[in-house]
Amino acid sequence: MDSDTLLKIDGLKTWFHGESGEIKAVDDLSLTLKKGQTIGIVGESGSGKSVTSLSIMRLLPPASARIAGGTISYLGRDLVKLPEREMRGLRGREIGMIFQEPGTSLNPVFTVGEQVCEVIRLHEHVSAKVARERTIKLFTEVGIPDPASRIDAYPHEMSGGQKQRVMIAMALACDPQLLIADEPTTALDVTIQKQILELLASLQSRRGMSMLFISHDLGVISEVADEVAVMFRGKLVEYGPIESLFVSPQHPYTKGLLACRPRLDTPYRHLPTVADFMEIRGTVETGLQLTEKRVDPVRFQELTAVGRGRLYHPETPLVTEDAGKWAPADAATVPTGQHPLLSVHDLQVHFPIKRGLFRRTVGQIRAVDGVSFDVYRGQTLGLVGESGCGKTTTGRAIVQLVRPTGGSIQFSGNDVTRVGSTEMAVFRKRVQYIFQDPYSSLNPRLKVGSILTDVMMANQRGTSKNDRRDRAAALLTEVGLEADHLDRYPHEFSGGQRQRVSIARALAAEPEFIICDESVSALDVSVQAQVLNLLKHLQNTRGLTYVFISHDLSVVKFMSDMMAVMHAGKIVEFGPSDRIYAAPRHEYTRKLIASIPDASIETLVSRIRERAQCRKSHY
Amino acid sequence: MTSSTSPSVSRGFWEETWKRFLRNKTAVVALIFVGFLGLVAIFSPAIAGTKPIVCKYKGKLYFPALGYFRESWENPIFVKDKFFKKYARNLPRKDPESWAIWPLSFNDPYRVVAENEWPDRPANPLGNESGPSKQNWFGTDETGIDVFAKMVHGTRIALLVGFVSMGIATTIGLIIGAISGYFGGWVDMILSRMTEVVLCVPTLVLILAIFSLIREPSIWHTMAIIGATAWTGISRLTRAEFLRIKQSDYVAAARVSGISTPRIIFRYILPNALAPVLVPITFGIAAAILTESSLSFLGFGAPPPNPSWGTLLSSAQTNHQLWWLVVYPGLAVFLTVLSYNLIGEALQQATDPRLRERGK
Repeated sequence: MDSDTLLKIDGLKTWFHGESGEIKAVDDLSLTLKKGQTIGIVGESGSGKSVTSLSIMRLLPPASARIAGGTISYLGRDLVKLPEREMRGLRGREIGMIFQEPGTSLNPVFTVGEQVCEVIRLHEHVSAKVARERTIKLFTEVGIPDPASRIDAYPHEMSGGQKQRVMIAMALACDPQLLIADEPTTALDVTIQKQILELLASLQSRRGMSMLFISHDLGVISEVADEVAVMFRGKLVEYGPIESLFVSPQHPYTKGLLACRPRLDTPYRHLPTVADFMEIRGTVETGLQLTEKRVDPVRFQELTAVGRGRLYHPETPLVTEDAGKWAPADAATVPTGQHPLLSVHDLQVHFPIKRGLFRRTVGQIRAVDGVSFDVYRGQTLGLVGESGCGKTTTGRAIVQLVRPTGGSIQFSGNDVTRVGSTEMAVFRKRVQYIFQDPYSSLNPRLKVGSILTDVMMANQRGTSKNDRRDRAAALLTEVGLEADHLDRYPHEFSGGQRQRVSIARALAAEPEFIICDESVSALDVSVQAQVLNLLKHLQNTRGLTYVFISHDLSVVKFMSDMMAVMHAGKIVEFGPSDRIYAAPRHEYTRKLIASIPDASIETLVSRIRERAQCRKSHY
Repeated sequence: MTSSTSPSVSRGFWEETWKRFLRNKTAVVALIFVGFLGLVAIFSPAIAGTKPIVCKYKGKLYFPALGYFRESWENPIFVKDKFFKKYARNLPRKDPESWAIWPLSFNDPYRVVAENEWPDRPANPLGNESGPSKQNWFGTDETGIDVFAKMVHGTRIALLVGFVSMGIATTIGLIIGAISGYFGGWVDMILSRMTEVVLCVPTLVLILAIFSLIREPSIWHTMAIIGATAWTGISRLTRAEFLRIKQSDYVAAARVSGISTPRIIFRYILPNALAPVLVPITFGIAAAILTESSLSFLGFGAPPPNPSWGTLLSSAQTNHQLWWLVVYPGLAVFLTVLSYNLIGEALQQATDPRLRERGK
């Protein structure tokens, strides 16, 4: 074995045995990680990337999973055959691990300092005082402000980003040679994600350790990795240096992944999907057959041409100023004099903080604090911001799921905060909502058909039971499912399919206006592209108006005509989405744009050069 | 977007639960045992008794065995003709043409069978010779009444107590839990405090106190009191489930779609809240059976001639050498309560999403 090879995975097979036989979660994976190198593993949910990391750590659930073949050699020792006792010594000491959810990975009843100290004292015989000093040093290294006092904080007293820093400190506590990071930034906001990625990259080069970085997001991977392994349904489909993967991807799946992510400067009106690059036949059980499709230039031409161009607000300085610099040629404006379909004015939603025996209100959380915007018929308004900025509360206030504290919400001339129950019923018909999590937004006890017909019945759509059922079947075909899915339960669908059911449910009321609340955030990138395309398609065919809420600036930019950037309950910047991206005016908007992982070839090459430099100086 | 992974047959939640339940072999045995007890309870007069199941008397068909369920279901003609409940002796004597189909075991749960009541059958033995025999399968008690007959007819009471009292408890618990969970605020505050008060009342003591007040305490009073105190667990669980599900996206989605409040409660929340509530109901049935047995054991149960497992046990108190008075009814109580508990546990495993995942 090569002297600078740290980890060599050879033909790894990890199988789960479930009710329907064996599931090959990881099937014949081979990787070689050199000292000081970072390999990124990218793949969708169920591709086996997390199972790979658990296999290395031997943390698989013993009842249902087993390593069916292959070797994992760590500095010449085969981890697959290592006795559990020795494995325990390796974990934490030689191989550190960071998980996705910093919130649930820390024990809430101990201070963060105690938890890090415990790891140190578990592996090394040092006094409590020494361990504490080392913890403070580690906290300084991972960038926790005021480490000497934060060491005694409990997890709930820290923010998500800080908790992830504690997790990193814990993983680094015993100077591991290998750090496994399993989606370490997925649960964090983009600006925090940026900081954590920078921290990981600098720690890695400073300490000269190796890293296995697992993510579903190629953009994130591009920020830290030297080599990338692309996994698809348990199999390794492409493996190579990062720049060659980005410049000339070989496998159709990689090509699809690279193309389907809406980039900020995307020329497409509809996104290409993985299905444009390859065809999948067969199932995982019987063996998958992936065939590359010939890339059809006409099809890609179509993607840039089908649908409409941007539709901005009526001509005011807001949309005309410097328009030549940023507006695409096909952009149009709403005719002057047209009334907005939805007009939100000075919307406030405050949540009272109640304390004590008599639940007296002692303060208020201003979730939404004076938000105003207009949406015209046929437009898409994007609401973008980080978690806790009030974007979801705004959306929920519009459909009256949350009672506004103040302000008005005018929908085609009526203030919906002041209407009676009959007018409310009319409003309900016209405005629908699509939720974030397709797993929790469908009633698990109802069949898809009943979910759809219930909504029709409540809104007096359809004349008879049979008519409603026919309409439901038609809706399912419209959203890309099949009519015989009517008799299925939600749990029988994949995440993307469920989100299509949610869309069909929203359409069942035949609304004019739909609020999409993070509607694609829980989906895999390739599925996300399909659902975004579907939403755009429906907007064209049904003349829908959208408010599109998301934390993902590039998705919002792709979808919306006008964009509102929210921060701490207020809109900090409002304007045409192209302008906001091309010439952000507010400090916060600039910060948001800068946080988006930049996977352009130039930055990639310069980043790799930098890292090579750093490594040379280290050895 | 083809659905190659979906099964061809759609299985709903309850079908899925049933499938999972069946995989737990001990629970299936327990369920079969409970089913068997149900059959015993329904057909108890046909298993042990001294009244014919069917008989032809003076050209007409009668079903005197139904009298074991209710006195008035026994045709008055037999009282008028002075049978004195001794059918085997009196039927051929009063109508030589008559015929009858008799129960499996010719023994009565209410009285001692006398000598020659059945041709050539000796009287039930008394005292130390009264152990299990061909004639009295489980022996006889200190007054000479057949233990097997008593136990078979006691099954009726045991099961009835379980079902009726938990039926009452479930109804109260679901309604109170649903109201306080869905509406919240002051309603919830008042109902929850009320639940806590009821929770503090010891059932056994309350039953003893009430029995000392009413003139003719019966098994129905016991059931009503158990039902009126056992609903707290069910109501608290229902409330917690309603609180959780009320916040869920699919209820919000239903609300946005304009679906009415009663429909949301009954079609969207209740079916989802039901699964975890099933578990305390099964455990409750077991507890109710145990409470009834304890009461009878203490002598406050079903008033005497009524056969009950607990009463049998209490009669063993004074007769230590009559081991069959302890073993058989004790075993019956033990197995029944164990079965219900096993069923409850299996239900929990089959419905709890976390345990479900582990089973995958």
